[in-house]
Amino acid sequence: MSGQQGKWKEEQVLVICPGSQTTLAQLGCNELTLPSHRLPTRMFKDPDTDDYLPYHTYKRKKATAAANGGGDAAKPEDDDEFEYVEDRDSSEGAIYPIQKGRIVNMSAFLAFLDHVHQLLTTSYHNTPIVLMASPQWTRGDNEIIARFIFEKTKTPALCLMHSAFAAQYGLKWLNMTVVDIGYEKMDVSCVWDSNLVAHKSLDYFTPDLEAGGNVLTKQLHRLLKDKGFTLDMCEQLKKSPLAEVLPYVATAKNCMELPDEDVAAEASAQFAVEAPKINEPTIAASSTAVDGENGIDDKVADEGVLDVANIVTSGNTREFLAKKEKEKAERAKAKHRKAQEAEAAANRPARLPNAKRKTSLFHYEETVHEDVQVPLSNGAPKTETVAPPATNGDGAAAAEPTPKLEGDAAAAPAPPAPTAETVTDVLPFAPEATSSVTERRTKRIRKDIEVGLERFLFVDREYIDQIARLIYSTVQSIPELSKRPDCWNNIVFVGNGSRLRGLKENVLQTLISRYLISPSTATMFTSELPSNMATPTGTGSQTPTGSTSGSLPLGQMPLPTTSSVNPLLQAATTASLGVPGTATADAHASHQSHAQTPTSIKMAQLPNYLQDWSKAGYEEAHFLGALVAGRLVYCVHPGNDMADAQRLSSLSRVDYNEHGPKAIRKHCLMP
Amino acid sequence: MAQPLTTASVPTDIYGGDEVSALVLDAGYCQTRAGFAGEDVPKSVLPSFYGSIKDTNAASGSRNVFGEDYIFARPDFEVKNYMSRTESVVEDWDTAVQVWESMLLDRLQPERRQTQPSKNGLNDGADGEGDVSMEDAAASAENAENAEKPLAESPLLMTEAPWNQGKAREKAIEIAMENWGCPAFWLSRTPVCAAFAAGKASALVVDVGGANTSVTAVHDGMILKRSIQKSHVGGIWLSNQIRSMFDSNDPKIEVRPSYMIESKVPVDAGAPSQAILRKLNYELHPSFRAYEDERLLTEYKESVVEVWRGPGRYSNPGNEELVKTQPGRIFEMPDGSNQMWREQRFRVSEGMWDETAQLPTASEEERITKAQTVPELIRACLNAVDVDLRPNLLGNIVVTGGTSLLNGFNDRLNNELMAMYPGMRVKLHAAGLTTERRFGAWIGGSILASLGTFHQMWISKKEYEENGAGIVEKRCK
Repeated sequence: MSGQQGKWKEEQVLVICPGSQTTLAQLGCNELTLPSHRLPTRMFKDPDTDDYLPYHTYKRKKATAAANGGGDAAKPEDDDEFEYVEDRDSSEGAIYPIQKGRIVNMSAFLAFLDHVHQLLTTSYHNTPIVLMASPQWTRGDNEIIARFIFEKTKTPALCLMHSAFAAQYGLKWLNMTVVDIGYEKMDVSCVWDSNLVAHKSLDYFTPDLEAGGNVLTKQLHRLLKDKGFTLDMCEQLKKSPLAEVLPYVATAKNCMELPDEDVAAEASAQFAVEAPKINEPTIAASSTAVDGENGIDDKVADEGVLDVANIVTSGNTREFLAKKEKEKAERAKAKHRKAQEAEAAANRPARLPNAKRKTSLFHYEETVHEDVQVPLSNGAPKTETVAPPATNGDGAAAAEPTPKLEGDAAAAPAPPAPTAETVTDVLPFAPEATSSVTERRTKRIRKDIEVGLERFLFVDREYIDQIARLIYSTVQSIPELSKRPDCWNNIVFVGNGSRLRGLKENVLQTLISRYLISPSTATMFTSELPSNMATPTGTGSQTPTGSTSGSLPLGQMPLPTTSSVNPLLQAATTASLGVPGTATADAHASHQSHAQTPTSIKMAQLPNYLQDWSKAGYEEAHFLGALVAGRLVYCVHPGNDMADAQRLSSLSRVDYNEHGPKAIRKHCLMP
Repeated sequence: MAQPLTTASVPTDIYGGDEVSALVLDAGYCQTRAGFAGEDVPKSVLPSFYGSIKDTNAASGSRNVFGEDYIFARPDFEVKNYMSRTESVVEDWDTAVQVWESMLLDRLQPERRQTQPSKNGLNDGADGEGDVSMEDAAASAENAENAEKPLAESPLLMTEAPWNQGKAREKAIEIAMENWGCPAFWLSRTPVCAAFAAGKASALVVDVGGANTSVTAVHDGMILKRSIQKSHVGGIWLSNQIRSMFDSNDPKIEVRPSYMIESKVPVDAGAPSQAILRKLNYELHPSFRAYEDERLLTEYKESVVEVWRGPGRYSNPGNEELVKTQPGRIFEMPDGSNQMWREQRFRVSEGMWDETAQLPTASEEERITKAQTVPELIRACLNAVDVDLRPNLLGNIVVTGGTSLLNGFNDRLNNELMAMYPGMRVKLHAAGLTTERRFGAWIGGSILASLGTFHQMWISKKEYEENGAGIVEKRCK
């Protein structure tokens, strides 16, 4: 049957990585790019039927009077008085089918899969799918999904892939520990020789243990509530470079050294003076869209782009937007990130680094949606969000789900493309638009808010401890002791919850200072060294030196810090030392290296040959891995010895027809 | 991109079982294991220890949480176990059902009906936390008549200790049939399963587990009741021996589990610890401390303790001197203090074989008698079976259980048996894979339940309805 499975084109493979908030998807794995589509993982109930819709849709009275003729023609009309409006940004009534990794609403999830599939595929019968599965999905879930995909779509083959393997394929290490910090869950999986040897998680099954990035937003909100911060502001602050996890200092209170008073005061004084300047680099970075003021007033409707979330159009930005539209969504995102970095970099040299400052200025970008009502319009509905295709003819056309726009919209939660920012400096609230047309406007308002130490304090020890504890207990739960060191030496953080500045480093420092087994002096210069190692002699030529000694100045002995483990000592403490002279026929025991772990804890080196990914970070490495898997499973011609393995890594329609959905148990990349 | 396809894609069910969506549940004192029949490892393994959080809102004043992730330092938290330490049978049935439901119904969730409103998640979107198993189960018990039972399509095979009592067996089938609506049920003894896992229908099964060690003769898939021998020489007993050794060490070694440590500093061997301790501003329940100690001692057992391989006892003259000249093993405590262990690591496990070598114990019940050592258990077991069967049993000794993973255990056992039965053919079968040894009984159950020929064995729901719970005594012998 292996010959049966024809080879597919790389451009045709559909890769989907669902998450509880955002789903990454892309058609084609020919280039290992960043995900081209980011879709919010949510569906909406159709108010009239029981079906699911991809966007919040509501009915409203037609604004006939306000609309011009062209607009009317293009509008979706079903009866005389009402029209259905898709609100791309609203999350009102949203159903999130995945919670904490678990599929809690299967029918909505299937509808979502269908939506993604329709959105991306052009031809159905030759588009095999790689679908990443969370560890929380049950066997029953997988079967339902397989059944749905084969019965409802014309997909020729499905490859269901465990998220830890996906991360592994992306990062190419044979043995590793994947720490996946998501929105509300956290998984630690140890992969050894491409087998899942241990897995623990804080997820759906531990309902009162909160984990994941969202905890931090809530925590930040708790701290800053009194200062008038909303959850959305906290989310932005968390994503900004201002929020960071300070390095681990075991002796300090809360294990972090907060910025000193004096320095901080000085810094903030200095800061206050220079405050006005601070925006300049940003504005420059966000390029041409400085013409905010007239932009607001401009009532001329622009092209279809107007409908794209959060973009205010203005006459002057038009060309810019048109140009921008051609660029891919992820490019824009990357650029924005660069802009942010540039901003951070611009701020840095002038004054102390963020971690040393007591207070810092946080530029909050708010998108304000407003209904500007004109007496003519008889009842435009009051919902908080976005641009209905009221006055402009192209608006309705833009409502067609074209992938590119979708990408932009999906990226919206993170401050989206820096294209059309309406920067109103240092104003608590933007001046209400003076427009007099019945039109929903979206504009970005920038507020500068001073944030104090809360931006460090919101990551409390509990949170770090929780992560460190879970990593430790997972790796130590690998049954075979010999497999543990490899997993300790290749720790990888994935999931966007791990993006927080300093988090990974802090977790690693915590792990090292709490769990690392340091070489003992008990073995030093005694006969306990393994016999196959030379005893250090007085000449100094064989004196054990730490691996880091090369970088030390001459004459300086390497300090016995925990990070520079003397290889000789390490060998002495960790080598499997059998007792010679006794019966050696221990075939049962010989496979165990009998020693305590961890003797070293390291993060795995990330690949550097993919520029886009190196820039953007490998937090979404599982998507990269899914792309790689797409090639391996569907496109690469296997050698003879691999043909079977390749066949078993995906379920083809032929096999499905023969064995039914149960075949997915064997034909998948799951442990 | 010439990355080969990996072993991950190799099918998991290596035993070629038939397609039955049966579940296998194996409850022990230390761990409870559950998974799908036909797979080679249990999907869900939880400690049989569970947490009980004081909660004034709950009716009973506390609520239970299951899973190792929950067991960490927190106030008003007590660690309990639903199994009996001495017997390895269920002690607290109410909690047992909760634990099993959280594993079988929630984590494995073999059946998911899109149409069933209580399960499809549509009704629990409001609180965002999802449903908790207990409420779910309670709800489904309430509308037992109309609602479909959660396991209506999954036969269930459970294991039990060979000395399990009739009442407990009937309770098990009642839960499976009444609460979960299983279409078929079977109870199998752990030694039989362990023998199956080793591919044998007749064997002498030596199961060295956490709370107990048992030796049972299995003949043609049936246990020989009179042969059952049991003693508390197991992992926990060994931990207590280690505690005793730590206490008598000079200087006395304090067991400080890692939850007490904020960060540690490397110190010289034998030097006192300089670790920075965590400050907890609440009282911890002693049971939590005991659980954490046990985790630490498990690590010690894994990496330091070794069994004197023989021949002869460790206490024989010359042996200790020999060991003292050998390289020892270092163990670093979570607080950073570390020490070299040489002869002690052999001495501590010697009590399993030689009751005179055991270290002083805290309580009298902990002490073992000569009859409770591993070799004597085997001797007693063999003496209780027909003489004709003995050679066959000696040639098919299956060693299973987590504590049998101690370094040198099998060599010693082999040496002891050769000395006890000179001239007989003694052959040990111990799985090489750690998981197979630890989950031996579960794997055997998994094989059994996935066999096509086993179909006729199951006790069906209809039979249960006709005969009542007593059927389990008649059928599962």
